[in-house]
Amino acid sequence: MPLPERGGPLAGVRVLELTKVWAGPYAGKLLAHLGAEVIKVESRTNLDEMRAYGGVDVDAAPYFLSINQEILSVQANMKSAEGLDLIRRMVAQSDIIIDNLRPGAMERSQLGYEALRQIKPDIIQLSIKMWGNEGPLGYQTGYAPSFAALSGLNYLVGHEGDVPRGMNIRYGDSTVGACAALAAIAALHHRERTGEGQFIDLSAVETMTSLIGDSLFGWSVTSEVPHADGNFHPEMCPHGAYPCREGEWLSIAVANDTEWQALCRTIGAEALADDRRFASLDARLANHRELDIALSELTRDRGVLELGEALRAAGVPAFLSASSLDLCSDEALWSRGGYRMVSDHRNGTRPIIGPSWRMTPDEARIERGAPLIGEHNEYVYREVLGLSADQVDDLTLRKVID
Amino acid sequence: MGALNGTLIVETAERVCGEYCGKLLADFGAEVIKLERPGGAPTRQMGPFMDSIAGPERSALFAYLNTNKKSVMLDLAEAADQPVLERPVLERLLARADALIDDHAEPLTLPADLAERHPRLVHCLITPFGQGAPAEWQQARSINVINAGGWAYHTPSETTPDKPPLKGAGRFLSDYEAGIDAALATLASLYRQRRTGSGQFIDISEVQVQVNRVDCVLGRMLAGEAEPGPERTRYDMGGPATSFACKDGFLYLFMTTRAHWAALVELMGEPEWTKSFPDDWLEFHCTPDHVAEFRRHFAPWAAEQEKVPISEAGQKLGVAIVPVNTAADLLLSEQFIQRGFFQRLSHPVLGQGLYPTVPYKLSRTPVELATPAPALGQHNAEIKADHAAA
Repeated sequence: MPLPERGGPLAGVRVLELTKVWAGPYAGKLLAHLGAEVIKVESRTNLDEMRAYGGVDVDAAPYFLSINQEILSVQANMKSAEGLDLIRRMVAQSDIIIDNLRPGAMERSQLGYEALRQIKPDIIQLSIKMWGNEGPLGYQTGYAPSFAALSGLNYLVGHEGDVPRGMNIRYGDSTVGACAALAAIAALHHRERTGEGQFIDLSAVETMTSLIGDSLFGWSVTSEVPHADGNFHPEMCPHGAYPCREGEWLSIAVANDTEWQALCRTIGAEALADDRRFASLDARLANHRELDIALSELTRDRGVLELGEALRAAGVPAFLSASSLDLCSDEALWSRGGYRMVSDHRNGTRPIIGPSWRMTPDEARIERGAPLIGEHNEYVYREVLGLSADQVDDLTLRKVID
Repeated sequence: MGALNGTLIVETAERVCGEYCGKLLADFGAEVIKLERPGGAPTRQMGPFMDSIAGPERSALFAYLNTNKKSVMLDLAEAADQPVLERPVLERLLARADALIDDHAEPLTLPADLAERHPRLVHCLITPFGQGAPAEWQQARSINVINAGGWAYHTPSETTPDKPPLKGAGRFLSDYEAGIDAALATLASLYRQRRTGSGQFIDISEVQVQVNRVDCVLGRMLAGEAEPGPERTRYDMGGPATSFACKDGFLYLFMTTRAHWAALVELMGEPEWTKSFPDDWLEFHCTPDHVAEFRRHFAPWAAEQEKVPISEAGQKLGVAIVPVNTAADLLLSEQFIQRGFFQRLSHPVLGQGLYPTVPYKLSRTPVELATPAPALGQHNAEIKADHAAA
C-alpha cells in the first residue's frame, strides 16, 4: 500500500538510516520532519539501544518514541550476507544514507562509500563519528559529554571559580544530528546541479567546536584564551540569572543605561540607580560581582512571572529560566506546534516536540509516531524493492528479515 | 566548487543567529549579499576588537560571522517626507535572489506581502519566540533564549539550587543553534524551489530550537513516562560521569557499563578501594552513595594524572576518558590538524587569523574560506550597478 503523501520541502527524497542512540536518529528525524521519506534499517539481533531503555517492549520504548516520529522501520539482519544484500538494494533506491555506527563498521559490511557508489553512483553518504572518519584519533569512541569536553566547548561552561563542568550531560548529540542533516541537504543541492553524489564525513567533536567559533577566533585576534566565565558578558551588565521566590530564576540582560535605569525603576531600587559604581556600562562591568549580589537581594523575594512581565513591559529583556515543569506546561509552545500530537500504537496518541520551524505554504505533515519494529517491511520489500510475497515470507522465515 | 554554487542569498539579518545562518550558507558556496544599514551591522560594534580599539573593520566577531559574504550598504529606513530611495534596489535584488535571511522581530516587509511580490523567494525569518509572539517577548537576547528553552536551568549537570543557571559556552550558544536550524530549513526549502519554482516563508523560533534539541529527555516527560519537576537535575543521568581536576587541567570521565568499570580499574592499577564495588555497580547499584564514594577515591588519583597521556592510555583499554580541552589544546591536537579544521585566512585589518571551519567534510564540495569578512559597503558599486533602476 503506498504511504500517505505528507508534503513538505523534501517530499520525494528518500533517506536510509543505519543509526543508533541519538545523533544519527535526530538527523533522520529532522529530514523526516522536512518531508523526506526516512527508512530506518533495524534488526532484533542488533537493536538501537533506544528501543531497549526504559522497559522490555521494544515497540513502546520512551526514548525511541520521543525521537523517531515519521520514520519508517524495515528489518534486515546486518550480520547476514543476505541481509546486507537487501540493504544494498535499498541503497540503490535511496538518495541519502546516514550512519553513526562504530568506526569501520560500514566498511566491514561492504557498505563503505566506494562499494555504495558502485550500486548508486550519485548516492550521498553521510557518516557521523566522534572524531570523523580519519585522523590519528579516529579509532576512539565516546558519548555526547565526551565530545563536548574534547571540543573546547565544555571548558567554557562553569560557574566562576568552579571546575568547568560543561553543559548539561545531555547536550551535544542532537546538535550533531542537526549539522549532519544540514550537510546532507547541501549535498543534495550539488547533486541536483551536477548529478554527482558524495561522501560526507562528520565529526561530532568538531560540531561542538564550531559552536564556539567566535570565542576561538576572538582568541586568535586578541591572544586571550577563553575560559569558563559564568554568566559574564563583556557588553551587557547586569547579565545573568537572578533568584526569585520559590527557587525560580529570572534571566536578565541589560545592554545600556536606559535599560539599566528602567530596571532600577521597575524593581524599586533608586539607591542602585544613583550608585556611582553602576552608573555606566563600564562601571557596571568593573563591579559586576557586587552588582549581581545587590540585584539578587532585590529579586529574591519577587515572583518570577510577575517581575519578568513588569521588566519586559519596561523594555528590559527578562525571562523565566524554565525548568522541565515550566516547559511541559508552556501553553505558547502548544499553540505554535512546538508541542503536538502524533499517532501512537499503544495509546492512540502521543505528545511530541515539534520542529522549530513553521512553513507557509506546504509544511510537511507530522502525524505518525515512531514505528513498530518492521512496521514498513511490506512497503519497503514489496513496493520499493519489488519482491514477491513469497520471497518476503521466505526471508522472514529464515530470519534475514528479523 | 561549493555545494551551493549558483545560489544567491540576500541577508538583511543583523543578529548573530541570522548572520551565522548566512555564514553556513556562504561557506557552502552560496553568494551571500549582506545588506548593511548606514554605519554598518550592529555586530561590527561588538568585540573583541583588534588591539582593543573599536571600529567597523576591527571586530573579531563580525570577521568570524561573515566570511565568504559580500557587503552592500543600503539605507532602508523610513524617514518622514523623504522617499526611501534605496528600497527599489532591495526589491530588484530580491527579484533575482533565491532566498532572504532575516532576524528582525519587526521586518521591513510583512512576510505575506513579500511572498506576493516575490513568489519564488524563500524567506527565512528567525525570532526569539517565532511569529505571533507578543512584541515584548521578541526582545529576548541570547541568555534569555537559552534560559527560556530550559538548557540554562539544567546546566551544568548536578547544579545545586543556590547557583544560577548558566548561559552556556561563550555569548551566543542559542544563536548558533538557531542559525543551524534556519540554514537547514532554508536549504530544504531551496530544494523544493528547484523542483517547483516556488518559495516558502519559514518562521524559526529560537526557543523552539532549544526545546527540540532535548527531545528524548523532555519528550518523555511530556508523554508522562518521566516526571517533570522543579529540580535543576531533571535532565541528568545520575551516574558518576563528570569533570575532574588533574595535574594540568581537567579530565572528563564517562562510565555506564560493567566493561567501562573493569577497564578503569585496570587503568588505575587495581587499587584496593575498587574491591568494595560490585563488578556491575554501574548497571544495577548506581546509587548516589556509590557515586559519591567512587568520586571520593577517584578524584585524588585523577589529580595526579596528566590529561592527554592518561586519556590515551584509558581509551586503549576501553575507558571513555578524555581531556577537557582548552582553546590552546585544540590547536595542538593532531586530530584537528590532520582534518584541517582551522584554516588560515588573511583579513585586511585583522591580519592573518586562524578560523574554525565546519564539522563536515564533503568529498566533492569541500567548504573553503575563500574571502574574509567584507569591509562595510565593499561591494556597493558592483551590486548597486547590477540593480540600479533601469
